[in-house]
Amino acid sequence: MEKTMYAKFPKMQAINRRGFVQKLREYKKHPFSLLTYLLVCIAALLTVGVLLSLIVYVLVRGIPALDLEMFSLEYTSDNQSMLPAIINTLTVVIVTLLFAVPIGVFSAIYMTEYAKRGSKLVKLVRMTTETLSGIPSIVYGLFGAIFFNGVLGWGYSLLSGVCTLAIMILPVIMRTTEESLIAVPDTFREGSFGLGAGRLRTVFKIVLPSAAPGILSGIILSIGSIIGEAAALIYTAGTVTGIAESVMDPGRTLAIHMYAQTNEGWYEEQAFATAVVLLAFSLLMNALSGLLVKKLGNKEMK
Amino acid sequence: MNKFTKLLTLATAAILSAGMLTSCGGNRDTITVLSREEGSGTRGAFEELFEVEKTRDDAEFYNSTSVVLSSVAGDKNAIGYVSLGSLKDTVKALEIDGVAATVENVKNGTYKITRPFNIATKADASELAQDFIAYIMSAEGQAVIEDNGYISNGNTGAYAGSKPTGTLKISGSSSISPLMEKLVEAYKKVNTAADIQLQQSDSSTGIKDVAEGKSDIGMASRELKDSELQQGLTPTVICTDGVAVIVSKENSVNGLTSEQIKKIYVGEISAWSELN
Amino acid sequence: MKSNIKENVMHGVFLIAACVSIFAVAMICIFLFTSGIPAMFKAGIFDNFLFSGEWHPLNDEFGILPMILGSIYITAGAILIGVPIGILCASFLAKFCPNWLYKILKPAINLLAGIPSIVYGFFGVTVIVPIIRDLFGGSGKSILTASILLGIMILPTIISTTESAMRAVPTTYYEGALALGATHERAVFKTIMPAAKSGILAGVVLGIGRAIGETMAVVMVAGNKTTFATSIFDGIRTMTSNIVLEMGYAQDLHREVLIATGVALFVFILMINVSFNLLKERGSRAEKRSRKKIAANSKE
Repeated sequence: MEKTMYAKFPKMQAINRRGFVQKLREYKKHPFSLLTYLLVCIAALLTVGVLLSLIVYVLVRGIPALDLEMFSLEYTSDNQSMLPAIINTLTVVIVTLLFAVPIGVFSAIYMTEYAKRGSKLVKLVRMTTETLSGIPSIVYGLFGAIFFNGVLGWGYSLLSGVCTLAIMILPVIMRTTEESLIAVPDTFREGSFGLGAGRLRTVFKIVLPSAAPGILSGIILSIGSIIGEAAALIYTAGTVTGIAESVMDPGRTLAIHMYAQTNEGWYEEQAFATAVVLLAFSLLMNALSGLLVKKLGNKEMK
Repeated sequence: MNKFTKLLTLATAAILSAGMLTSCGGNRDTITVLSREEGSGTRGAFEELFEVEKTRDDAEFYNSTSVVLSSVAGDKNAIGYVSLGSLKDTVKALEIDGVAATVENVKNGTYKITRPFNIATKADASELAQDFIAYIMSAEGQAVIEDNGYISNGNTGAYAGSKPTGTLKISGSSSISPLMEKLVEAYKKVNTAADIQLQQSDSSTGIKDVAEGKSDIGMASRELKDSELQQGLTPTVICTDGVAVIVSKENSVNGLTSEQIKKIYVGEISAWSELN
Repeated sequence: MKSNIKENVMHGVFLIAACVSIFAVAMICIFLFTSGIPAMFKAGIFDNFLFSGEWHPLNDEFGILPMILGSIYITAGAILIGVPIGILCASFLAKFCPNWLYKILKPAINLLAGIPSIVYGFFGVTVIVPIIRDLFGGSGKSILTASILLGIMILPTIISTTESAMRAVPTTYYEGALALGATHERAVFKTIMPAAKSGILAGVVLGIGRAIGETMAVVMVAGNKTTFATSIFDGIRTMTSNIVLEMGYAQDLHREVLIATGVALFVFILMINVSFNLLKERGSRAEKRSRKKIAANSKE
């Protein structure tokens, strides 16, 4: 917002821009401002410092342990291959999204496009999603173990893990979708109605496409949390090392793979190699979301 | 001042006072006692062998051998215990009553701190499960066990199994899992038709899974309890594992008596200087 | 006519989707409570569960008071460390940072959010713990260590919510303050910050939720003692680490009590959420009132 205003009125910038000497003079008059400024910079430096040390730490310990054998198709105790875990992770991500995205997006559509303002149901749904988003993953894990593994009798299986995760990421998808649906200007809807389109058509042809970047960023956010999740999966999807051939098979995701590797102290170095790959995944997700937002954002501007 | 700066001052004050607190407190040779969590097979064996009735509450508890290892390695005041098979050279294993914790000493019976690795099956175990157990107990299986630093209790001669096909589910103790993994791989080379799933959890879950029919073989890094035996399970000891008591390499102590270790773990000794 | 049917069907589908979350919460409540609450009563809900300090599950002693306090201490510590740094860092990103730096920093902080908690845990054990041990003695595994680690872990949450809340404040506020002669810092902290208050508060609550629910990292650095802590250099066990530590080996009543610990944690978080909602409602009501007042005054 700021930038566009300055672009429109280049002269406005001059008021706010100060030279170094001028700044110093100002700080002399207002020492508290200088203090605040310094604190802000220190906080930023601290954050960056912590981040850098974390990344360097993982890379220094993990990269020497990385070798090509760790990406062979078959896991053995010698090669500690993480490829099966990567494939399981991808399966879990895809199936979880298949469950959670339609439900999340549809319920957000109901909340913003269909429900009457101030309806009791909307309030209840909002309250329950807030509750869901506050539940710690270990509690989800317990629930999954009791309900999916136990009551429904699925045992340790990817499906149990997937269902647990789907409930876990539902609030994120709902909230981001709702926010981006609300952000779509009402004039879009009115225009569509005016041209004779029904409500359904308006939602799918006009509202959803304009809200797409927001929804996508929500999805990417939840992919990140699925990939990093361990506490909710140990008790549901299990720690079996092979590639799960069906969703009813147990299997470990990458985060669990790392957890299991560290557990007995036999494969600690390999665990850090796994951490490097996890980090790479999270970097990829970030880059992807940045790219998507940029691309879609541009299109919208045009 | 607004709320935000108040918060900031509070945080700085907290950190400063924290610094003050430590400068006057804390004996620097207090023993950091590390233990495994309640219910762990390793802990059960340890407490039984050292006659520790109740590990002190202010010990640190971990459910992972690797955290125990890395914590002890970095803390010169720490003491902990791990499976002999997981022992690393980042830490020092103590001599107990003058006997070093080595595979030889466990074998010749001088190192007493040992426990059995058990597997449990139901009476109606599948042909594949029986064949796999036969393999573990054979000369080939026991060789794998010895190669990985565990102690064989003798073998039943060369493996001559029927190599049945099918699926086998094994679950249980995380202490046995790495070894079981090696055994499964060796067995699969002999019997390529077998499909074996290894689920790493813990002793009690493993046994429960077998009793409930969720898996075929359960692994327990301790003796089976009476309540578990009553469910119709047959235990088989596949090998013996030593429990090593470990300290940091910087620690000058090289050996302790079992009496001293007991006292450390029940809380009667809480500083290294009290040992002499 | 045909499209009408389609409309109605889809309306129903949307409605059902909206009800899924209600259904999920109901299921979670039912199954957690039915497996946890009987155990609480079997153990003795007050004298041998909530308000007891003796945790010896194999001797049927199930006091989780130290764990409840542990969760509170560590969460408070994490907030004390993470919130000031997070807010300051967010204001750096929103109002102080040159554009080229922002393009590097923002993804970097997102990356911080994407690192799995086990990695944080190992970082804590091998980097933070030795530092604390060398500085303050003891084993290095303490409330302080866990608070620092959790403080780091909640940074991304706090930073991103605070930053977006600050960016949502109309620029006119800032410009007005400058026009009245305020310095840049004063304008940011005295006009934008108060206006972004509710957004920041929401971020803090999210941070609390993440800190109190964190499991895999805390279990590695908090020491997991079952005694009451006497200083911030004492180790402590949280409710989450109690579950993850012993769930594996637990049997019978012990296992049920661990699920009950999960129930206690769940109720705890519900309480935090509800009180935050009350606070927010009251805040927005007060805001409305003051706005009305301002409007009335300006009319005069």
